[in-house]
Amino acid sequence: MTLRTFVIRRLIVVVPTLFLISIAIFSILHLAPGDPAQAIAGRHGVSREVLELVRVEYGLDQPIYVQYFRWLGKVLQGDFGFSYLNRAPVMNLIRPRIPYTVELMLVAEAVSVVIAIILGVIAAVKHYSILDAVSSLGALVGYATPNFWVSLMAIIFFSSWLGWLPKGGVGTIGVTFPSPFHAFLDHLSHLVLPTSILVLGWTAYLFRMVRSSMLEVLGQDYIVTARAKGLKERVVIYKHALRNALLPVVTYEAYSMGFLLSGAAVIESIFSWPGLGQFMVEIAHKRDYPTLMGLTMIIAVMVLIANLCADIAYAIVDPRIKYE
Amino acid sequence: MEQRLMTSHSRAKSKEKNEELYEPSKATRLFIVWRKLKTSKMALAGFGIILLVSLLALLAPVIAPYDPNAIGRVRVPPSTMHWLGTDAMGRDMFSLILYGARISLYVGVAAVLLEILFGLAIGMTSGYFGGIVDEILMRLTDLIMTLPTLPLLLVTVILFEQRDVNVIVLVMGIFGWPFMARIVRSEFLALRETTFVEAARSMGATPWRIITRHILPNILSTIIVIGTMDIPWYIFWEATLTFLGFGDPSSPSWGVLLWRGYIHFRMEWWIITFPGLALFFTSLGFNLFGDGLRDALDVTTRGR
Repeated sequence: MTLRTFVIRRLIVVVPTLFLISIAIFSILHLAPGDPAQAIAGRHGVSREVLELVRVEYGLDQPIYVQYFRWLGKVLQGDFGFSYLNRAPVMNLIRPRIPYTVELMLVAEAVSVVIAIILGVIAAVKHYSILDAVSSLGALVGYATPNFWVSLMAIIFFSSWLGWLPKGGVGTIGVTFPSPFHAFLDHLSHLVLPTSILVLGWTAYLFRMVRSSMLEVLGQDYIVTARAKGLKERVVIYKHALRNALLPVVTYEAYSMGFLLSGAAVIESIFSWPGLGQFMVEIAHKRDYPTLMGLTMIIAVMVLIANLCADIAYAIVDPRIKYE
Repeated sequence: MEQRLMTSHSRAKSKEKNEELYEPSKATRLFIVWRKLKTSKMALAGFGIILLVSLLALLAPVIAPYDPNAIGRVRVPPSTMHWLGTDAMGRDMFSLILYGARISLYVGVAAVLLEILFGLAIGMTSGYFGGIVDEILMRLTDLIMTLPTLPLLLVTVILFEQRDVNVIVLVMGIFGWPFMARIVRSEFLALRETTFVEAARSMGATPWRIITRHILPNILSTIIVIGTMDIPWYIFWEATLTFLGFGDPSSPSWGVLLWRGYIHFRMEWWIITFPGLALFFTSLGFNLFGDGLRDALDVTTRGR
């Protein structure tokens, strides 16, 4: 089977999966307590006749499957519903937040990948050395530390006590900057704490993967062969070992998009970072179900696309893979 | 991703040739595991931490200097009167944290039990029936595994009107089983083809007997290792959910304490520091012990 058919087949699998997710999201939120008509019309002093009118107007009197297909049809056209609480289309609420989440995750991801690979390779090559022991212990500690707690401690320490870094947000409010560059620096200072905390956790996680993957590869026969051929140690490690060791790490990274997004959501909430995660927590508190449905759907689509890309990238990078 | 797994039984098979055949008793097997665990200082440290936290939780009413709900002077810094200070409501932090340990341990163990229950049921069903049943269940498993945990938990938690620790345990149990189910399934499929299962079947053993007498004992160590390693995971998620304000606000759960400290935050570092430290040490203990147990029981788990 060629790569092209593989990609097409994977795409065909994604469609029913998305369908399944949409049914799940729709039915879960339909189980939600409370009358949606009441939510639309407002909480107090609404007569029964008005509620009835609202039901007819919004199609809430229709059977549930009709409601589902109407909703799905709109979603397919990019209309994720209307938030009655915020009085705005859900998509309009979500769109401005996407860049912030992407920025936070990309920066944290890039930094942690670099650190984890460098440390992981050194720890594996110098197995049982002091550096290996120290970084492994560090990773274990980083792995066990709750990220939201570190965030709070960092805010206490760096913002409240030392006053070095801002407590949250994406920029200082009510200040006019002399140049866009100053505004950018101000934005960077807001980025430091949330990204560093994400980097701490993710590096610990990735480091363990890189290290064990590298150790496994270094024990393989072809490494012995490469050394026996008289290749320089540097060539053996970086060309023969690292490339193979990174394969599972790379796929795992792409697959863990959902996990990373969850971690980022908590950090976003603490640092008032106006991304998707913070929004998710906020609307969950307000029980704004239409928005929650739209946002969950968008996040699911994003995660599925990331996984699909991971599958395809893996198939391209690793010639051994059989396109099942 | 396909999880590759090697357990004690497959390792044992290769050893069979040069060792005389004997079936070690349960006590002997436990002793062997303990002897291996003992060689790892990390695992012992983890075991020590778990033991300490469990004792503190169990003896909370005896040790706690105050009733955790008793209200006194607010925001008192750590002193001889209040070792870890008091919170914004004037409750003794040390007593609160002791009672919080009960919640965290309960959550971790209860959620893992649910995970094992669902994981066994779904993994076994999938492996036993195969075909279309297997296909559907594994698709579902993949789906839950790839979706982001926090949105799943949030959406489900708010469907329940009451804010209760059991709601959180239940919700985590609903979404926590996929990894366990996958491993149970792959182990089941591997074991089904072994000669001892074939022998049992040829002697007329019922499926129930094969599962309980031949398959379950062989995947027990895998289940124990994954379960232990998942306990801190659940403790962490419960703390996260309650920290985000989705817990019972009156409970002394560490996440709730941190949440309270956060929303009433002024400059009181002790309100934030100590519940978090408790969380960190408990998590560290289970992680260390889980790693050690995995090595001692000779189970390799990939992908987590």
